[in-house]
Parts: sequence; structure tokens; C-alpha cells
Amino acid sequence: MSLALVFAVAGLVSVGTFLVTSRSLSRIVLGFSMLGHAAVLALLASGGPAGDPPLADQSDLETIANPLPQALSLTAIVISFGLTLFLLALARRQHLLTGGDLVEDDLEDRRIAYEADDNDEIGSAA
Amino acid sequence: MIATRSPIVRLGIRAASPLALVIAAFLFFGGHNRPGGGFAAGLVLGAVVALRTVAGLQRSGGATTVLGAGGLLAGAVAVSPLLFGNTLLDQVVVSTDLPLLGTVKSGSAIIFDAGVTLIVVGLVMALLDGLSATDLAKDPGTRQSAS
Amino acid sequence: MIWALLGLHLIGCAVIAGIGDGLGNRVFAVAAGAPLVTSIWVIGRVGDANATTAQITWVAGLDLELAFRVGPLAALLTLVVSGIGVLVFGYAAGYFANGIAGVGRFTATLLAFSTAMVGLVWADSIWTLFVFWELTSITSFLLVGYKNTDADARLAARRALLITVAGGLVLLAGLVIMADSAGTGRLSEMTNIGGTSAAVASVLVLVAAATKSAQIPFHVWLPGAMAAPTPVSAYLHSATMVKAGVVLVALAGPIVGDAAPWTPLGISFGLGSMLWGAIGALRHRDAKLILAWGTISQLGLMVALLSVGSAKATFAAIGLLAAHAVFKAALFMVVGEIDVRTGTRRIDELSGLRASMPLTFAVALVSAASMAGLPPTLGFPAKEAAVEAALGLAGAEKAVLLSGVIAGSVLTVAYTTRLMIGLFGSKPDHTASAVAPSRLAMAIPIGILGVSTLAGFVGLGWVTTAVRAAAVQLNPSAEVYSLLRWPGLTTALFISTGIIAGGLAVGVVLARQTMSEPRAVGAQAVDELVAGVLHAARWTTGRVQHGSLPVYLVTMTVVATFAAVPFALGIDTSAVYLSDNGTQLVLAVLAVAGAVASTTVTSRLGAALALGAVGLAVAGLFVAHGAPDLALTQLLVETVVVVGFVLGLGHLHRRFPAADQVWVGVRLTVAGMLGVAVGAALIGSSSAPVGVPPVEDFVAESQTTGGGNNVVNVILTDMRALDTLGEIMVLVIVAVGILALAAPSRDETPALEGEPT
Repeated sequence: MSLALVFAVAGLVSVGTFLVTSRSLSRIVLGFSMLGHAAVLALLASGGPAGDPPLADQSDLETIANPLPQALSLTAIVISFGLTLFLLALARRQHLLTGGDLVEDDLEDRRIAYEADDNDEIGSAA
Repeated sequence: MIATRSPIVRLGIRAASPLALVIAAFLFFGGHNRPGGGFAAGLVLGAVVALRTVAGLQRSGGATTVLGAGGLLAGAVAVSPLLFGNTLLDQVVVSTDLPLLGTVKSGSAIIFDAGVTLIVVGLVMALLDGLSATDLAKDPGTRQSAS
Repeated sequence: MIWALLGLHLIGCAVIAGIGDGLGNRVFAVAAGAPLVTSIWVIGRVGDANATTAQITWVAGLDLELAFRVGPLAALLTLVVSGIGVLVFGYAAGYFANGIAGVGRFTATLLAFSTAMVGLVWADSIWTLFVFWELTSITSFLLVGYKNTDADARLAARRALLITVAGGLVLLAGLVIMADSAGTGRLSEMTNIGGTSAAVASVLVLVAAATKSAQIPFHVWLPGAMAAPTPVSAYLHSATMVKAGVVLVALAGPIVGDAAPWTPLGISFGLGSMLWGAIGALRHRDAKLILAWGTISQLGLMVALLSVGSAKATFAAIGLLAAHAVFKAALFMVVGEIDVRTGTRRIDELSGLRASMPLTFAVALVSAASMAGLPPTLGFPAKEAAVEAALGLAGAEKAVLLSGVIAGSVLTVAYTTRLMIGLFGSKPDHTASAVAPSRLAMAIPIGILGVSTLAGFVGLGWVTTAVRAAAVQLNPSAEVYSLLRWPGLTTALFISTGIIAGGLAVGVVLARQTMSEPRAVGAQAVDELVAGVLHAARWTTGRVQHGSLPVYLVTMTVVATFAAVPFALGIDTSAVYLSDNGTQLVLAVLAVAGAVASTTVTSRLGAALALGAVGLAVAGLFVAHGAPDLALTQLLVETVVVVGFVLGLGHLHRRFPAADQVWVGVRLTVAGMLGVAVGAALIGSSSAPVGVPPVEDFVAESQTTGGGNNVVNVILTDMRALDTLGEIMVLVIVAVGILALAAPSRDETPALEGEPT
């Protein structure tokens, strides 16, 4: 396996994770894009070494690159494209409603956390 | 916003549109033998639509129609083999000679690809519509020159 | 025939569930149909060594099949299940003479239980056995909790469900081990297995059986299950469902019976339950609870005998099983009738029933005699056989089992005596209880069961044939044994006489005592355990789910990092090289550099540009890898994404809001960890290739059937077109989502433009 590709994947995953754990929705969108790039590169890298383009009439069968991961990667690119656009629409919506693009805490989860501290009668059938 | 204020950019986009259409067609029909295909063609068309909308050359909207048409087309190709007793998405291959492109061996796959193209274009149109691209074009300073 | 009978049951369930409420009490007659036909069919098969089989194979290679086999044991059990089923449905018509809410639901569930029980005793494939085993647990849950407005009933139902279903999971593990070691999923084809797997399976099977047959310490659900209406208790919790565990021990004995833990553990469960159950029966004053504890005790004796595994013990256990089903169902029905006609079933509140309910008293007397092991009832020869079986053993096994059986039997006679005196005796300080008129629908099934207990003694030859055939199926040496009306002056008879004398004395004395009723400590412990688990779950949720999305992501990331460890351990450094070509190396560095830059810039436009740079570098990497399609698509995607960024984020403040420095440190650490983990996993995954990619096949397939030279595109639109179809559906959903998000909502007022920072 090509260390250059592994380096690219690891780097993009790190940066993507860093951005995704941010509270700014636009940074999260950036992070998802990075993670998408990393996933596609990982797919390609695990499919075998580089080679000639998989065009049956132009390339030599001996040196051709594995076409299957490329097909799968194409699907992956499209899906992360769709995801990015959707997140952008979400960010836009968030901006319209709150004037910013910060991800806020889930109030419902907070409520459960507070209630767990009260020793109320949970689980009794009455 | 900048684009709509600049006549040069508007002219450029206007002139580039037919060229982009040719590129899209080239990618679309050649996809089975060369890099390209329905998705790439759809993105090129989508980029043209995006540029024209931002430049105020066309209004956004109509995304649902395009999406529906694409979905129906691809769905029909997917399901129709079942009517003839074949499996889902079974392909019929026909060989045709087209000018400029040479021999194109394809069939129902190309209709399926057309569905893909329409859906990608529809997605970009939805994006423009949803993110209010027309608002940018309707900037007060550019209203008069746009009409 | 097997399919026809099962089908008949299912049709019955469906019909009753559909129109049962409109039929009133006639619904019980409809429900009795399928069990009646089944018992008529099976009565001719009892004692027949030949088996009737039926199967449908689903996945042959995995032994996944629905397989039934009605051998001698199954035939005897079917007679018990379906025969008593018919009587219970008849009895229920009398018990519920005043009507109940949801009679259709109740009857359909009871018939569904009957179906599940028949399927369970007929099952030959372990999968079939497991499915029907669980179905009996579920239907039992529904029946115990039938009074769903009663909190106690609901609690008891949940307790029963938790314990029996947990036992079901243990059973599944045991069955899988058995099938794996024996090489077949058919119980009838399994032979004795040995080794560690047999030891493990034997423990699992015994625990499962103990949960179902209410053996200590898993017995705590059975007394609570008395919250069910009495017909249910008579059917499920005396005659049939609780026998499933005993049947399991019988079936598993020939397969794992030689494993070291089998006999000691089985005897511990069995004798422990026999003694503790009898003590429980002596302490309670609710007649139904006395019977329930008595059931725990009696089942204990059967489990102990079966886990001994000698031919004689097996034979005695089967005999006891048959006798117990008849007398215990009768006694439950008697208690139910007393409850209905006097309004109470507490033995300290009843008086003078011997005179006012003479027929019921007669049946109760016969059944109680059978329970105590007195002639001339079916219980006597069965109990004699059990004592004989204990005498027939040697060494420590004999000492333990014999003393246990003697002690348990004395207590059994004692609680039987106390129950009879309490139910039917006259109490000097009580006036005679007022008794409502008899109901024919209740009296007839009770009478039939009472007569059966006597007829079983008179027609002992037929019973012996049935029991012997069933025992021979489990242990061929059982062929020589018989149930005897008069065994002669044997040691066993002397022991029995002593048992009866001792038991009567203890019973008469205790009947005069008023003892404090025991609290259901075990049941409380189970309830507290359940409540504790729920509380702990809520506490954990409160601690872990505190609502911050970034913290969730960091937590998941840390967990995901550990998934890379097995890959990292398998790294083969010889499979690694620096790069495929120089371009790749340069572009990889550029991509990462662009990515890092996107995090350091503070302006949103700068970040978008950095993302574009990364996209370009990645597109270049595609070209260097030999993937022009990917490169083309990547470039076009990047264009549209940039347009989206400008449109979507154009309204936002130009700079990102500042972040907390400590938190940034945590994020950096975690992100770095995941990057390293993914890299290690990637290298590890390529270190163990399982084959050469079939590149040539793809190329050939693409040219012939797909008719194209661009292999990647042919794969997408032809070979994996279904993937592509799914992919474009995702795009449609995204488009619809974007349009929906953009639609103005009526009740939300948009905030002012511009960011507060």
C-alpha cells in the first residue's frame, strides 16, 4: 500500500474529525467534505496499486487499475456531494432562525440528565 | 451579485452556455467508452444553470419537475425489464452510429443515465432555489439592467 | 396430519381473535375444537414406539428447519396438553359464566398458548424447540397479565416474562452448543456428546429448565403468576408450561447426561426445589399459592429423578409427570370453583365445605390422595416407582436422593393434609361458608379429572404402556419396569407407609397452627433488580447523553479508535511502499496541507478556498491513481459545492466565532488519534489480501454484456445499476430536503440578519 495515500487519508481524517467536532455548522460542513475525501481515497488505496485508466480499448490489461473501487468511489463522491449540499441548506436554515450557525445543546437530552438526578420511582409498575 | 452587475460576465455566461451544452452532450454520450457519463453531464448542466441563475439570466424554480422527470425515467428503465420477465435493471444493448461520436453501443443504459442527469440538474436547481439564489440576482442595484 | 392439526389450532386462534367477542361464552366451545381433535388423534399413538414426522426445510446447510416428531414421549405429553386443554376450556366457560371483558382476546391467547405448547412437545429441530419455547413464555406473559388494569398482575407478568425469557436465551446457547457438538440440529438424531462442550451445555440446559419449571432460585415468578385467572393457572402453571423444563431435562439427558455437572446440579435444583417448595406450601394460606408452591416441589422431584438418569428414575419421573398433570389440574380447578362459589380461597376463611360441596370434596380427596401418593390413585404407583428408583441407586447418590425424596414426600403429605383440612374441614370458631349454586361447566371437567385419577389406577396397564414407551424413548433399559397396583411388601412400601404416617401427623398438627405468611422476598428482589437496572440506565443516560453534539462525536471517535487495534496488530510492513509515483506523493502532501490550512484560517471565505484546494489535490490524486472518471466528477462536484458555499454561507459573518482553547486541545488530540487509527487500519487491511482483484473479468464483462469500454461507467450503469438507482434516490431525497428547509414556516419568526458576534 502506498504510504503517500495512507498519509493523505490519515491527515484528512484528522482534520475532518477536528472540524466536525466544532460548534460552527459551516466548519462541520467543511469537516464532512474532508472525511468524504478521506473515505474515497481509502477505498481507492485498498483496491490495489495505481495503474492505467480502466478503459478497455486504450489501456493494457496488465497495467490497468482495479475498476471496482473506482465505481464504488464514484458513488461515494456523489453521496458526500449530496450530504454537503444538505448540510449547507441546514446551515442556511439555522442562520435564518437564529442569526448564527452554532450547534446548540439538545434540550431534551439535558432534561433527561436533570431528571436522572432526582431519585424518583422509576420502573415501578404503578 | 458581482456577476449580475458586470455586462461582460453576463455576456460571457450567455456565450458559454451553448458550449457547455455541447460538452455536456459529449460527456453524456461518450460515457460508456470514455470518462464522463450521466452524472458528469448533469453536473456540467447544473453548473450552467447555476451560473445563469446567479447572473439573472433565468429564474430559479421548476426543480421538482426536473427531479420528477429524472426519477420517473430511471425508475421506468429499472422496472420495465420485469414486464418482459427479466430481472430488475436488465439491460438491452443496441449498436448505433452517431456523427462525431462514432459507433455507440448502448441501449436502455443510456436512458437510465439520462434519468441520472436530470436528477443531478434537479438537485442543483433545488439548491439554487432553496438557498435563495434569486434573491442575489434581485439585488436592487441590478434590477434595471437585468430586465 | 401434524400440519393439519397445527393449522387447525392457528385457524382457531385467528377466528377467535376476530369474532370471539361476539360469541360470548360459546367462544370456549370453539376454542376446545382444535385440542379435542388433537387429543383424539394422539390417543391412538400413545404407547406406540413409531414416530410420526413432518418437516419444512428453510436453509438446509444451517439445519434451519421446522421439524416435528411425535414419538411416544411427545404423544403422552400431547395427550396431557390437549386433553387438559379441552377440559380447561370447558371449565373456563363455567368460571367466566358471568362474562369477562375481552373474552375473545383471552380465549385466543389461551388457544395460542395451547398451540405453542403442542409445537414445543412435538419439536424435533432445536430451532423449532426454541421458537415454541419462547412462544409459550410470551403467551404466558399475556395470560398472567390478562387483568391489565391490575398493577400486581402486570408486575407478576413482567417478572415471569423476564425470568423465563432469560432462561430461553440460556437455552438457545445450550442448544447451539449441543447441535454444534453433535453435528445435527435434530434432537432425535443427536447422540451422547462429551468433553467441555457437553459440560457447558448441560449447565445451560439445566438453568433454562429451572427457569421454566420454577426451580429454586428461579421459582420466584410462579407464585406471582397466580394473579392469572384460575383456568390459566390450572393449565399453564400446573399441567403444561411448567412441565416444559422437565421435558427439556428428559430430552437433553441422553445427550449431555454424562457430563460432570449434570447430575449434581440437577439434583441440587430438584431436591432443593422439592424441599423449599413443600415448606412454602406449608406456610401459605391462599389455596392457590399452596398449590403453586406444591407444583415447585413436585417438579423438583421430577427434575431430580431425570437428572439422575438411571432407567428406573426416568421411568418414575415420566409416571409422576402424567399423574401430576391430572391431579394438579383437578386441584386448581377445585380451588377455582371454591373461589367462585364462596368468594374466597383462603383456607383460614373457609368452613364446612365438606358438607356443602360434596362432589367437589370427593374429587379433591381423590386428587389429594394422588398428590400424597396414596392408593387407589395414579399417584401411588408413580410415587412408589420414585422411591424404588432412589433405592436402586448406590453410594452418595442414593443417600442424597433417598433422604431428599423421603423428606420431600413427608412434607408433601403434610401440606396436602393441611390443604384438605383447611379447605373442607369445619372450623369451630367459623360459621359454615355460604355457597353459591354449582355450575355444570365447572363440575364436569373437575369430575372427569377426578375419575381419571382413579381410572389411571384401575387401568394401570394402559398407563404403564404409555409411560414405559416414553421412558424407553429416552433410555432403552426402562423396558423392564412397570407401574404396580400392589408392589408387595417391599422396602419401598415400608418407606411409603412411614412417609404417609409422618406426613399426616405433621399436617394435622400444622393445620391447627396459624403461621405468619411468608413475604415474597425473592419476587421483591427481582423487582428491585429490575428497578435498579432501569435507574442505572437512566443515570448513565443522564451522564453520557448531556446534549452536546461535539462531545458525542468525540466520545464516538475515541471508541472507534479502538476498533483499529486488531488491524494494527496485523500490519505486514513488506506490503507497504512509499508511493505509486512521485506525483502522488506531492499531491498527498498538498491535500493535507490544504486541509490543515482550512482549520487555521479564521475567515469563512478562506476556509471555502482551502476546501477547494483540497478538492483539487484529491482530484489530482485520482488522476495519479488511474481514475479519470473520479477526477472529472470531483472537479465538477467541487464547482457546484463552491457555488453552494457562497450561496449558503454568504449571509453569515465573515469570520468564524472563537473557540474555547481547552476544548480545542481535546479535539486536536482525539482527531489525531483517529487519523493514526484509520491509517493503521488501512495498512493492516492491505496486509492480508484474500485474493487478486478480478480486473480482467470486469473488463471482459464490460465489453460483452455492457457494451462499453469505460469499465467504471459500465459497472455503475449496468453491473451495479441497483447501487446507482439507490444513489440517485439519495440525491432526490436531498433535493426534497433542501426545498423543504427553504420553505418558510408559519410559526417561526426569522431572526434579524447578521450575527450577534
